[in-house]
Amino acid sequence: MKIARYGKNMTIFMMISWRNMWRQKRRSLVVISSMAVGIFAMIFSIGFMNGMTVQMVENTINTTLGHIAIHERGYQKNMKLKYNFFPEERYYRALERSNLIKGFTPRVKIKGMISSSETSRGIMLMGIDPEREKTVSSIYHYTIKERGSRYLSDASSDEILISKYLAEKLELEVGDRAVFRIVDENKEMTGFAMRIAGLFESPVEAFDSSVVIAGIKRLQKLSGLGDNVSEISVRTKNKNAVDAAKEYLIRAIPDSHREILSWKDMEPSLIGYIELQDKMIYIFFMIMFITVVFSIANTLIMSIMERFHELGVMKCIGTRPSHIFFMVVFEAVNLGMVGLVAGLVITVPLVLVLGVTGIDFSFAIDAMRKWRIGTMVYPLIFMKDIIAATVTVLITTVVASLYPAGKASRIKPLEALHFI
Amino acid sequence: MAIINIQDLVKDYDTNGIAVRALRNVVLTVEKGEFTAIAGPSGSGKTTLLNIIGGLDSPTSGTVHVVGKDLAVLSPKGLSDMRLEKIGFIFQAYNLIPVLTALENVEYILLLQGTGKEERRGRAMRILEEVGLGKEINRRPKELSGGQQQRVAVARAIVSEPELVLADEPTANLDQKTGAGLLDLMHELNHRKNITFIFSTHDRMVMDYAERLISLTDGIIVSDEKKKSRREGAVITKPKKMKSKR
Repeated sequence: MKIARYGKNMTIFMMISWRNMWRQKRRSLVVISSMAVGIFAMIFSIGFMNGMTVQMVENTINTTLGHIAIHERGYQKNMKLKYNFFPEERYYRALERSNLIKGFTPRVKIKGMISSSETSRGIMLMGIDPEREKTVSSIYHYTIKERGSRYLSDASSDEILISKYLAEKLELEVGDRAVFRIVDENKEMTGFAMRIAGLFESPVEAFDSSVVIAGIKRLQKLSGLGDNVSEISVRTKNKNAVDAAKEYLIRAIPDSHREILSWKDMEPSLIGYIELQDKMIYIFFMIMFITVVFSIANTLIMSIMERFHELGVMKCIGTRPSHIFFMVVFEAVNLGMVGLVAGLVITVPLVLVLGVTGIDFSFAIDAMRKWRIGTMVYPLIFMKDIIAATVTVLITTVVASLYPAGKASRIKPLEALHFI
Repeated sequence: MAIINIQDLVKDYDTNGIAVRALRNVVLTVEKGEFTAIAGPSGSGKTTLLNIIGGLDSPTSGTVHVVGKDLAVLSPKGLSDMRLEKIGFIFQAYNLIPVLTALENVEYILLLQGTGKEERRGRAMRILEEVGLGKEINRRPKELSGGQQQRVAVARAIVSEPELVLADEPTANLDQKTGAGLLDLMHELNHRKNITFIFSTHDRMVMDYAERLISLTDGIIVSDEKKKSRREGAVITKPKKMKSKR
């Protein structure tokens, strides 16, 4: 009964606090504006960082990593030819059975040297099945399709794809032949030449500068691998299905000689970066927390001093100290929430638009490609970021109001009545 | 039935290290339904006496019983609840809540008391109509004249039908005509609802309206007379005990 009565009372104090907020419009608007700017800075920064991280992960997955890879045990640590394996038919059947998996492709990866008439470089030759590869990576989309440059025609052809970057360094063009030297299955140095069918340009500098793509069958023949492969790369329907698909494959392909790794297992540095970013977001929140606490506390103290007499009268006529306390807390929460809404109204549409159009960072192309981001950044905000910002503002405003609210609730009615 | 019973009330203030005695051994009994004015010059102690009766200030010594309760044993929350349930306040400067409309200001007390929405609204509307502000219910205090604000204050003080209304110089900021109208209203409410009114005043008109006039000088009750109100039809109640001693 008493609680119900107390709850009823709260509605009037919420209403009074809302109206009180607009008594000093200019002062409240200054606080609300500073909150909105803080929210904008915070959400936009988080959106920008999210966009960079997602692109970094996606670009890494789209070039060589894939979502999941099936390897010979030991290959992940040491990419020697002895760790290549024969892909049994049951592997492919298991992969085809799962509705979590969008596509898969076998690959051969061999370290070697590429030479032109001008210079030589260490590279990794990656043998792919051109058609199957389209379901797993974006190499097809990265291939330049102009001035004679094209994608690989089949897995047995004597053709390669080379990055535009590497072609420039080696002074090679489409149609030229490049010479390769690798150590074959018999640990013998072997050399061969292949013609450049096309150039590609990915958002990942490390991929462009070190990978040359050939047909898998041609590379298996040249290296003496027979039908062995280095990995089977798998793409799941979406990134959230990776863990479930990995679990499925571990159960479906029980083989102690194989290891099934997700992109998180293969690139722990990316996970480290994501964790670091999450911690940096907390630092952003903390900075905002401190700024807002002082701003709101200051405003409320001024507001209470101005209403000292009025608060005293309210106590005279029977208002309890706890009512006054909550009224001041509501006032702070109102300021915070209006600032939050104003900030979100500005930020969310902007981030959504920029998430489609992207922000052009071509002026910093080298740095962006080093970080595997590409030249465009597409900001991205998640609901959890908005919820985190809302909770931060709510906690901050309540904390900021505790001292002024306590002070207001302890006002002695008689002193306040004499205060003009 | 005595609604106020004060025995040997003393109140001292410490002003810059100097002790000032505001009330000296006051003894006072007020019966239910009285329409009493406490008169005296500035500094005579009338507001201090009213504040102590209202539980806003505490005595240095002596006992104060209001509506049967010894104020000395009530906690701050108990005093707050007593002010809410039993006493209505009318201030010299109206002191309405500026962000609430006339209707909301009157409803405020009922809401604190936990009255349901429909009953609350109905009672507040009726009382505002009684004080002649039926058409001004949605106006905020700054949109009302001084007289209208004081009428809202009266409505707020009596809406919950308290046993006692304490009014600290209620007409001080009003012109004579408006003040007289307000006193007529309070006198009528006193008779119709049997609510006890105690005013502090140095306004001759208020003293004329009162049915009992207590004169205070330097914290001492120097006279306490029952009289006929200037207003026609007033009923004079007879207090049982009235004295003050040094």
